Amino acid sequence: MKRSNSQCALLCTALFLSLILTGRQAIFAQEVAPSKQNSVKTAAPATLKPLEIDLEGLKKILQRDKSSPHPLLLNFWATWCDPCREEFPDLLKIEADYRKRNLDFVAVSFDFSEDVQTAVPEFFKQVKADVTPYWLNIPDPEPAIKMVDPNWTGGIPTTFLFDASGNLVFKHTGRVHAAELRAAIDKMLNATR
Amino acid sequence: MRKHLIFALALALSTLLLAVTASAQAPGPNGAGVGPSATTRSIGSTVTDFTLVDVNGAEQSLAKLKGEKGTVLIFISARCPVVKAYNERMEQLAKEYKAKGINFVGINSNSSEPLDEVKAHASAHYTFPVLIDKGNKIADRLGAEHTPEVYFLDANNRLVYRGRIDNNRDQSLVSKRELTDALDAVLTGKVVAVTETAAVGCSIRRVE
Repeated sequence: MKRSNSQCALLCTALFLSLILTGRQAIFAQEVAPSKQNSVKTAAPATLKPLEIDLEGLKKILQRDKSSPHPLLLNFWATWCDPCREEFPDLLKIEADYRKRNLDFVAVSFDFSEDVQTAVPEFFKQVKADVTPYWLNIPDPEPAIKMVDPNWTGGIPTTFLFDASGNLVFKHTGRVHAAELRAAIDKMLNATR
Repeated sequence: MRKHLIFALALALSTLLLAVTASAQAPGPNGAGVGPSATTRSIGSTVTDFTLVDVNGAEQSLAKLKGEKGTVLIFISARCPVVKAYNERMEQLAKEYKAKGINFVGINSNSSEPLDEVKAHASAHYTFPVLIDKGNKIADRLGAEHTPEVYFLDANNRLVYRGRIDNNRDQSLVSKRELTDALDAVLTGKVVAVTETAAVGCSIRRVE
């Protein structure tokens, strides 16, 4: 009787563990599934001249490198936007702190065409930014807004955090709270470790 | 004894499986931090009456300001350059459609803009009333996130359109006019074709 009890306990435990592990594997498989995307480099720029992109360029940023997808911190901003300028040093600090952990940072400007070539480099110089300044130049920004997130209505600044699989894990419209963003990044990096 | 043990193990197993299933469904990758900062008002829902003070300190309400055939609530800012680009267009539309029974109402929900600045901006650019949304209560109620952002209510205060005025900050490049399309549709008893749009604007500075 004792023996059969221990056998049953062993069998049940094995069954239980296998079920748990199968479940967890499925969840992880979903989280780390490779994205089907192209590459966008965010290396230090040789110039502060904004890199002009269109809808296709934004699509590539969102798709990233399919061979080795990194998590992406994507910020939409403009020099004419006060909270955008205020939060930018925080984002740069976060970028520097998480660069070694493969977090890509892309800042896309919605600056007006008449002053983008002067205002953006001036601001980047002022805040000592060493990331590529992107400038989204499209006549109607709605398709771009909807491509990034169907629930975003276009207010800036808006900051998005996508994990390596392209899942949106954090979003904030208005000046981002650095501590909240850091917590979201940590949570994301720890979850996919 | 054996039955008890099997039962206990089965119970533990189902409890743990339930917990795993729940954790998979709980806000994971798309959980906390994602989504609009306020609940977005859905098209077709009725906006209940609210009371706010205007730039002159007078108490106003939606019931008092609404037009016979509809009301356009526009979230504005005294500082946003996108609003600045639309000031003239907003004023022109407000005048044109007031004559047709649709009233325009400006709402400033920015906690960073002092009353005298909002008042000076309103009197310099608009003849329609501008209300002060202290504590961004109405912005939260409607789910407004930026300026300029429009909420068009029909005669029964049902939301029929939300979003932008048109598709370009530069008036000479405008090719889509979703707000006027919605206004004209309501006035002629037609269905509003495009009910929601997005546009780049200045995020509303909510209270911390």
